[in-house]
Amino acid sequence: MAEDLKTSIRGEILQVKDLPTLPHVLQKVSKLVEDPDASTDAIAKVISTDQVLSAKVLKMVNSPIYGFPGRISSIQHALVLLGFNVVRGIIISTSVFDMMVQAMKGLWEHSLGCATACNIIARRAGFEDPEEYAVAGLLHDLGKVVTAVQLPEVHASVLETVKTKDMTYFQAEKDVLGFGHDRINAWLARHWGLPPNIRESMSRHHAPQMAEFYKPMSCVVHIGDFLVRLFEFGNSGDDQTAYLRPEALIELKFKMSDLDKVMDEMSDQLLEVSDLTF
Amino acid sequence: MSQTLEESLFQRKQVGFLLSPDKSLAEMLQKMWSPEVLEFIVFDKGGKAIEHMFNEPPDLLVVDNRLTDISGREVANLVKSENVYRQLPVVMCVDPVDVETPWNWNKVEVDDFLVRPFNPSEVRDRINLTLCRAMRALDANPLSKLPGNTSIIQKIQQLIDGGDDFALAYCDLDYFKSYNDKYGFSRGDEILMMSARLIVNTIRSYQGVQSFVGHVGGDDFVFILPPDLVEDACQRIIKAFDDIVPHFYDPVDRKAGNITSIDREGNTKVFPLMAISLAVVVNTNKRITHYGEVSSIAMGLKKKAKEDPKSSYVIDQRKA
Repeated sequence: MAEDLKTSIRGEILQVKDLPTLPHVLQKVSKLVEDPDASTDAIAKVISTDQVLSAKVLKMVNSPIYGFPGRISSIQHALVLLGFNVVRGIIISTSVFDMMVQAMKGLWEHSLGCATACNIIARRAGFEDPEEYAVAGLLHDLGKVVTAVQLPEVHASVLETVKTKDMTYFQAEKDVLGFGHDRINAWLARHWGLPPNIRESMSRHHAPQMAEFYKPMSCVVHIGDFLVRLFEFGNSGDDQTAYLRPEALIELKFKMSDLDKVMDEMSDQLLEVSDLTF
Repeated sequence: MSQTLEESLFQRKQVGFLLSPDKSLAEMLQKMWSPEVLEFIVFDKGGKAIEHMFNEPPDLLVVDNRLTDISGREVANLVKSENVYRQLPVVMCVDPVDVETPWNWNKVEVDDFLVRPFNPSEVRDRINLTLCRAMRALDANPLSKLPGNTSIIQKIQQLIDGGDDFALAYCDLDYFKSYNDKYGFSRGDEILMMSARLIVNTIRSYQGVQSFVGHVGGDDFVFILPPDLVEDACQRIIKAFDDIVPHFYDPVDRKAGNITSIDREGNTKVFPLMAISLAVVVNTNKRITHYGEVSSIAMGLKKKAKEDPKSSYVIDQRKA
């Protein structure tokens, strides 16, 4: 896989290096990592609120250096296996882009909300390790972050296209970049050696029926994305409500009543999540 | 130099062989360390040294490329091609003209080289560093890079001699062999790497205390902690292990909660998912006087811990 990804229409290039992360999350994690009494759980909880930091932690633990590539998809497990020293190292080396907070704040909340939703949905569907589904939900729009930070002008014209042509963000990306964030996700996930379940659900959350190996996880993220938009929690760059693919509900054997229960739980938990914002 | 062994970088006296016709080099090296720290035995011909070296290998070999009867490279390769001597660090001495064209260090497997004219303080520290590096590398488990048996025994004896209270836990995995048999050794290694990371990070999270983690070999690990922390550590290791290990199975086996494998007699057998057993020996009030006692007590306890097919720990409750 090539190091970078070249957009087909404007010919600009997205780069894997120096992905941004949120400064206040970094601060919180650094503090916890320095505190000898802080538990792995507490640190994992904070790291899970940041897409880029989460992705970096997972990338590191799944790299061949540790000897079990592509096996770990929970932040909790990653922390136990990496140790605080390595996590501290990741934090130190993570560059911070101030513009991230400005440009993508809505997206961050959207991702966090989606993670929460995915956790609830996965538990309702009776899946093991709902935290892994939350990770997939958290990372599902990572490709958008990369475009916003690395190609701010392209990102601006995507947003503009959404408005003027009344397209979804996803369609607008294809219009401007030549491909959507699903492809950027696939490219990033492969580059970072993320586990195959996370990778596939990141790249298939818009078309979960096309998922090859991890259809249930892709469906959970699809529904999570839909519901969090319905709640208008955060902003994924779209104005309109997303389309919910019926195949996703069928795959999870969900009835409307299941969705109702998920939404009840979401409204409670999203309140808590919004406290995390600032 | 009149440095004593205690003040030196080494735990015991080191012996170095110098193979060189260069009298001034021999004199320089012999003066640099006190003979109780690092003693140099000098051979002006390579041939004479080789039998000596095979019978009584030194801790360090310094080979001069100016040797006349046999080339320096040949000596180095002779040492490095035998697994028994492979770990012996070799330093090559060369003249600037020797290295004008690049050497193929894959073919001349030395550990370092020194170029004339020698700068004495650089020579001193290069050789010190080479010896320290060799000691670190020698006993590390090649897979986990954790200290191996020599270091483990040294550590235990050091604690016993110091009269410190300590707890030593002996960890091993249940049903590791059947996992290895079914999924192959490279996935088996993944399990060992995961276990090593998990134990190390749990033990290191107790800051400011005497601790140690070693890899005995295969699926056997040990760690050392103060007695009051050891039970908490066992519980945390078991919890993390039981959480993580299912992710290393194929989805079908994970769901079934067991694997089906064929034993040596060709019979199909069902094995549970892997678990971790911990046997803890507590040494308080200088009850134990020799490291051998620690391992024999641990082996007894291990049987008890293994009776439980789930992850479990057993702590030796005997009092002094």
